[in-house]
Amino acid sequence: MIAARDRLSLAPGVTVEHGRLADAVRGDSWPLNASGAFVLARMADPVGLIVRDLADVFSLSQEAARADVLRFAWALNALALVNVESGVPRSRRLVDWIRLAARLAPAGALPAAAARRRAIDTRTVRRAFGSCLAAISTRASLVAGGATAVAAQLSLLAGAAGLVVPLTLGLGTGVGLGLHEAAHAASLRGVPSALVTRGRRTYVLHAPVSPSRRSIVALAGPLAAMGVGIVLVVAGAIVVAPVLAIAGCPLVAHALALTVVGGDGRVACGL
Amino acid sequence: MRALKAFLLGALAVGALAYALLTTLALTAQAGGHTIDVTVGPLVFVSVGEERDAIVTTFGPGVVVLALVGGLANLAAARLVRHRAAGRVDPVD
Repeated sequence: MIAARDRLSLAPGVTVEHGRLADAVRGDSWPLNASGAFVLARMADPVGLIVRDLADVFSLSQEAARADVLRFAWALNALALVNVESGVPRSRRLVDWIRLAARLAPAGALPAAAARRRAIDTRTVRRAFGSCLAAISTRASLVAGGATAVAAQLSLLAGAAGLVVPLTLGLGTGVGLGLHEAAHAASLRGVPSALVTRGRRTYVLHAPVSPSRRSIVALAGPLAAMGVGIVLVVAGAIVVAPVLAIAGCPLVAHALALTVVGGDGRVACGL
Repeated sequence: MRALKAFLLGALAVGALAYALLTTLALTAQAGGHTIDVTVGPLVFVSVGEERDAIVTTFGPGVVVLALVGGLANLAAARLVRHRAAGRVDPVD
């Protein structure tokens, strides 16, 4: 969701040059009309102020100006060209989200999730891997925490005591996500790329590459996570440590991304 | 070639996942001193049993059959998706 106090910012790799919005990752640019250039030139201001200024300068009603600015902001955000910067703490945002979700509940809808694009340095394999891990660390930690909570709940329902298994499953889930995306990034050495998160989705956006390289990039993520998972399971079998094998299972589950159920599998199969 | 790729990726995915889950199940049973037999009819997936004083884990052909079924399912799904696929999208992974 985009609130009046939020600010817009150009995503890493996106610039405004000579009246065009250019994206270094896609290697493409789009012309801006007068109102679009007006909005992007005032991105230091909160969205509410931009709406007021747009209404004044273009002689629009407040409602029309707000609809224009929000439609434009959402369109650019959907393409991961613009990030939405919130000026309030996360706790306050969570409360706002819950309120809006409650209002939308009768319609069976949830508040739209804004995309966030983060830079990845793909100059070397090591930098690509490291910068992607750094970019995804917050999300991976959240996913690990969520998975731990769900596993702990199921564990309690099953009557099992202890937090070792839930923590192991949570850790494996978080590490798997980080490893998956970092492996995609590492296979994109020399290709302009960025990490994008939108709602539950996490993906690496990159410049067009040859079909064969695209297949390799698509396979790298699931294979890396699956490989580490299999090593953990085999190590657990060798030393008879079920905890190691349990930690490996969420990582091996990334193998499902190799099938057409996942986007990576569809790309790898040339679909 | 595309069909072979879909089959191999599906078989690898399902085979790896089945192996990991069955190994974890067997290890947990072994650590707890239990014996288990995971079978479907005559098809044995994994068996944890006692032989003399030792606990022995044996994988049956079920894992391979499961992998083959996964490969065929992925091949069928790939054909279905190909009929529905259309439009140009951003390259994302």
